Formats: sequence, structure tokens, C-alpha cells
Amino acid sequence: MQKKFEQILMPVATKLGNNVVLRSLRDGFLIITPLIIVTSIFLLLANFPIPGWESFWTGILGEGWTSWFSAVSNSVFSFTGILSCMAIGYAYGKNRGLEAIHSAVVALISFLILTPTTVEVGKQTTSAVGLTYVGPNGIFLGIFIAIFSVEIYRFAVKRHWTIKMPDGVPPAVSQSFDALIPSAMVIVAFFLVRIAFTLSPFDTAYNFIYSMLQAPLKHVGNSLPSVLLYNFLASLLWCFGINGPTITNSVWSPIFFVLTQDNLKAFQNHLPLPHIYTQPFIDIFTTYGGGGSTLSLLIVMFAICKSKRIRELGKLAILPGIFGINEPIIFGLPVVLNPIIAIPFIVVPVLNTLISGIVFTIGWVPYTNGVLLPWTTPPIISGWLATGSWTGSVLQLFEIVLGIIIYYPFVKMLDKQYLGDEQAAAEADLEIDFSEV
Amino acid sequence: MKAIIILDQIQSGLGGKERADTPLGGKKLAMGSAETIDKALAKVDGSIMATFYCGTAYYADNPTLVQDKFAKMATKMGADVVIAGPTYDYPEFSRMAMAIAAHIQDTTDIPVLVASASEKNADALSEFQDRLAIVKMPKKGGTGLSDGIANLATGCQIVTQGGDLATFKSEFCYHS
Repeated sequence: MQKKFEQILMPVATKLGNNVVLRSLRDGFLIITPLIIVTSIFLLLANFPIPGWESFWTGILGEGWTSWFSAVSNSVFSFTGILSCMAIGYAYGKNRGLEAIHSAVVALISFLILTPTTVEVGKQTTSAVGLTYVGPNGIFLGIFIAIFSVEIYRFAVKRHWTIKMPDGVPPAVSQSFDALIPSAMVIVAFFLVRIAFTLSPFDTAYNFIYSMLQAPLKHVGNSLPSVLLYNFLASLLWCFGINGPTITNSVWSPIFFVLTQDNLKAFQNHLPLPHIYTQPFIDIFTTYGGGGSTLSLLIVMFAICKSKRIRELGKLAILPGIFGINEPIIFGLPVVLNPIIAIPFIVVPVLNTLISGIVFTIGWVPYTNGVLLPWTTPPIISGWLATGSWTGSVLQLFEIVLGIIIYYPFVKMLDKQYLGDEQAAAEADLEIDFSEV
Repeated sequence: MKAIIILDQIQSGLGGKERADTPLGGKKLAMGSAETIDKALAKVDGSIMATFYCGTAYYADNPTLVQDKFAKMATKMGADVVIAGPTYDYPEFSRMAMAIAAHIQDTTDIPVLVASASEKNADALSEFQDRLAIVKMPKKGGTGLSDGIANLATGCQIVTQGGDLATFKSEFCYHS
């Protein structure tokens, strides 16, 4: 059974894990993730989920103090489309063996070529770039532009369509001339693309990608079956020793990223939050203590098991586990290639996803505000901060307890086996005394 | 075939990076991730007779002591083969495993196999790959772990039964 699963899963996982485009998307989003986390904290400080927070600080700092904070959060949230394009261009160029910074700049310029530069205000047309085009709605367009612009650039570089400078010319100058013809090719290509879209019923590349791709994909991704599949595959792959989220994020991260940014923008503008299945939903309401929701497993190990080996490991790993670090038990219990633990390791996150999805849909817990908390934020606190409601913490607590109940019989099986080993060890004195040698 | 396995504190189930100061020790059973290796060895008529463990920071402070104690104890216990790892892409553990393996190979008659990933281990591999049989393993969370472990078990069988190690090394181990 395990062998069969491996035969089916491994080639797919390897292909996805090694796909240079998917890898670059993941790497590109990782470049801007720290910026989102930091600016999210500014957004959270301006909108802290305590009644009277804003009026309290208005009394001290004066009217308009929140705009100080929103200026910081806007610097990222209103420009995620263009930032994604640049970051993915950088990552894709690097993964394709090009000068990463040249790739990033080429992607940025291509994005700007396709971006409308006039805004209609009443009957007047003003020269300006609308934030609609460069923000969350422009993320998918940014992805396409990054990949295609760098690919055109690479096409020229690979064929050595460059201007060679004589020896003795400083490397910086020489590199700049190297980039001349490839950059010109990219610019001409996007110049033509812009004209083509102007002549089409879509008018802009933005309208085309948003209506034909981003909106439909967002719709498909923003569904319970989609996130159930995401968590099922992520956990299943871990059981075979493969870092599941690395593979599944290759496919889902652009969708989760867009959905999260939509919620962030809405939260910032005090509008109703549009989506349930955001990145914080996945991170905060489906697994606790890392992949497989191993915080529940650790509590069983620590509090209920009798085997010294399991209890000791539980005791050592519980503190890192609270902060989302589960490496010690993934390899130390082990979870990897352990058919007994594989069952709850897959079932618990999937069940948590199902329950959270239903609870959020019913409206018992408010939607996540899109704030990306540091991944080490412990449960209970994260549930409250992500939703602004204590019900978020209650849901987390309920799912941790449910996880304990599900993990219990499986861990007890291991416990019994290890206890037997330990009793035999006590009789046979299995401790090795290195002072003898 | 009776094997001794050498692991760090994470792989032997004694904690995370914060427990890198774990002193050397051992138990006459398969600890932590050695359970998985034990199951693979069972398919080739082998088993883990003992796990030797040592924290990576403790080893860094006492390399000669650890190498010497592990080599002498493996001889005293009469192991047929010593396995160091899998070390994945943990650079400290990988270097520790390779250095201990080299010492055991140089000072005892016991055959040694190391299991390691190439990622983050380029320097250690270039130093040890021609002296040791270092079986290819994926990095932490990478694909191909089952196959790597099965290859490691096959390697143990070959070295203990005097099989064709050269072909095995060229196919499943790192080499220059």
C-alpha cells in the first residue's frame, strides 16, 4: 500500500517540487512575505481587537493617528501586484541562471508598460497610476509578466545576442551593455502586447488576466474542497518524508496570496472581509504546532503516555511545539515513514479544515483579517489576533482537544510498543556505558 | 547482520537544536528515526543492535573523544556494520557523521556506511566522498527518502556479505 502510494505520489511531487516556474513563484512570494508580516503589525496596531482601542489612542495622539500606521501598511498592501512581479522576476531569473537583479528590473518595466497611466476623474483625464492595477488585483498579471519577460530576456542572453565590450572595460559597464539587446527585446515585446490589448475588447492586459484567470481561479481556490485537498496532500506527503507544504504551496500559494491580500485591503478600509480561505485560515485554523497539527500529538505524548521515551520526547518538544516547531517529533518519534502515526497525522488537519470551514461559513467566528502573523505565534493568541474575536481562540482550543482525542489511540499503540521495549530494556539493562571503553 | 547506528540529538528523538549539547550516549535499541532504518534492515535479514547518539555541539567540542569512544564501543559490541545517519541536509550532523565514520573505518575492521544529502554538505562531501561509502539521501523534506533508506539497507547487506561494493558506490553513493 505504502509502496503503491509512493509510486504514484513521488513522480508528481518531484515534478512539482522541481518545476522552475512553481519554485520561482514560491521563492518570489517568500521575498515579500517578511514585508507583509512587518507591515501587518502596523495595521494590527492601528486596528487592535480591543473595544475602545482607537478612541483611547485618539485621546492621547489626536485625530488621524491611524493614518501614520496605514501609511506603512499601504506601502506594501497597495502595491502587492507590482512587488510580486518584481520578486518573482528576481527569483525566476536567479533560478534560470541569469543576473537576478536585471531580471527583476526587466519584469518591473514590463509591468509598467502594461499598466494604464491615466485615471479619469469626472470628465477629466489625469496622468496617474491607479492602485487597482498595482495592488492585489494585479498579482496574477504580475506573475505572468515576470515569467514571460524573464523568459524573453533569457532567450536573447542564451543566444549571446549581446554587445561585447573590449577587455579593460569595467565589469559593471560591460554587464550593462550585455543587458542592452535582451532588455530591448523585452521592451519591444511588451510594447506590442500593450498595443494588441488596446485593440482588443479587453482594452488592457490587466482586464484580460483579471477577468479570464485571476477571478475564476480565486473562486475555485476559495472553496472548502480546495483547502481540504491542500491539507490532505500536505499531510500525506509529510508521512513519506516529503515537506508537503513546499509542494502544495507551489500550486496554491498564488491563490491564497491573492485572497489574503483582498481581506487585508478590506480590513484596512473597514469594509466587510470577503474571503474565508486565506493564508491565515490555513496557518491558524487547520494545524496547531506545525504540519499534522502535532501540538495535539505532543500533549498526548507529554500528558498521557507512560513510555519514558515518548514522555521525554513530549516534554522536550512541547515548548517548541507551542511555537509551531515540530522537527524533533517529525524525525524523533518518528512521524516520517511511520504508518501508525500517518493516519491521525492526515486526519486531524483535514478534520480541522472541515470544522473551521463550516464554523466560518456559519459565521460563528469572524473571517480572518488577512494579517500575516509571525508563524511562531502560539495558538489561542493567533486565533484572537487573526479574527479580532475570542471565538477564534475557542475554535482553536476545541480543535486542539479534538486532535488529542483522535491522536490518542494511535499514540497509545506506539506507547504500548515502546513501553514493552523499555521493560525488556530494564530487565536486560540496555543502557550503554561508554566509560567502559 | 547486526548494525549500530550513529545519530544526533534530533534524529535519536532527544530534542531539537536547543539540545545540541547532549553528551555522547547509547542504548541497545533503535531510537528515534533508527526505527525506520531497523524496518528496512529487517528486509535484508538485519537489525539495529544499538543506537549511539551525540549532540552536534557536544561533538564539536569533543571530536576526538566521541570518535574514539564510538569506535571502541562498536568493536566491543561486535557490530557487523556501522551506519552514520541519515543526516539529511543538517551540515553539522553530516560533518560529524562523516568524520566519525572515517575514524571507525580507519581504526577498526567494521565496515561503515554514511547516509547524507548533497544540499548544504558540499564541502564535507568533497572531503569524505572518496574515502567513504556515502549513500545518497534527500534533504529534509525532499523526495526519495524511502528509496534512499532501501539503498542504505542494501549497502549494509553488500558490505557485510562481501558483495560488489564498487558497483553499489557508483550507483547509489556520492563520488567525484
